Amino acid sequence: MAAAAAHEGGGARLWKTLSFVVALPAVGVCMLNCYLKAQHKHERPEFIRYAHLRIRTKPFPWGDGNKTLFHNPHTNALPTGYEDEN
Amino acid sequence: MAHQAHSYHMVDPSPWPIFGAAAALLTTSGLIMWFHYNTSTLLMAGLLSMLLVMLQWWRDVIRESTFQGHHTPTVQKGLRYGMILFITSEVFFFLGFFWAFFHSSLAPTPELGGQWPPTGINPLNPLDVPLLNTAILLASGVTVTWAHHSITEGNRKQAIHALTLTIALGLYFTALQAMEYHETSFSIADSIYGSTFFVATGFHGLHVIIGSSFLTVCLLRLIKFHFTSNHHFGFEAAAWYWHFVDIVWLFLYMSMYWWGS
Repeated sequence: MAAAAAHEGGGARLWKTLSFVVALPAVGVCMLNCYLKAQHKHERPEFIRYAHLRIRTKPFPWGDGNKTLFHNPHTNALPTGYEDEN
Repeated sequence: MAHQAHSYHMVDPSPWPIFGAAAALLTTSGLIMWFHYNTSTLLMAGLLSMLLVMLQWWRDVIRESTFQGHHTPTVQKGLRYGMILFITSEVFFFLGFFWAFFHSSLAPTPELGGQWPPTGINPLNPLDVPLLNTAILLASGVTVTWAHHSITEGNRKQAIHALTLTIALGLYFTALQAMEYHETSFSIADSIYGSTFFVATGFHGLHVIIGSSFLTVCLLRLIKFHFTSNHHFGFEAAAWYWHFVDIVWLFLYMSMYWWGS
């Protein structure tokens, strides 16, 4: 995805130009792409109690010991199922 | 006052190495207390002492170099070797986690449904936020190079702008990753997929935070006129570390986000 760079003698001016003409616009395009993708709502997958998922060998050392550190009640089910469905 | 007949730096006695070792002991035993005995006091003491040792040790290095002039070209050469060796050790650190990832993903077990990603795992779309994160880190590599050339050419204003932009991009990456962590449908407890994904990207994120902090210290020093156009090794070390962080991400992106989805 990187554009071919001009073979000059280096220098701050070259890298400043690359920053504002190539690098930052590429970030902008990717930001736009993410924004557009976020416009469609995504369905939450149904809960199937797979044995290899939602493993709890020992409690987590925080809270009630049953939720991961970045637990999201809407997208992360507990071993017993989604919290808002029970 | 005696003068040295060599170009090396014989460092004055310092308490930071032994205090650092003590901090490491407090932190590791604190982790055990937290994991197994549900108490976090020792861990907090360990992390606090670790932070204090780092701040004071590196403050002393800045005093010895910028203000006392002990960093001759010979000393700087040693520091370059040191930083290169350190980054090399970090490469091996990440290699281990990549090894674990490929071990599990190249031959997925029946317990996972014999496939990768495992049954029931909905991986992130690599062309969504992960692609944006890739663009952000690549862009920050360009801006940090702009900053370096600005320092070498003595352009103070541009150097400050470029380095600030680099740090801002780093913070943007961290914020996006934190949001991604909160939004994924899978967690660290979701089979070996979750373990490898979050341990590898988690340590990477920690290194982004460390790198951003290192760059921020450099920005403060840049503003306070610590660097000259041909002596600014602290900045170079930060820039090397930042490029390393970028390259680790590229490998993470190609293997876990893209190939592994």
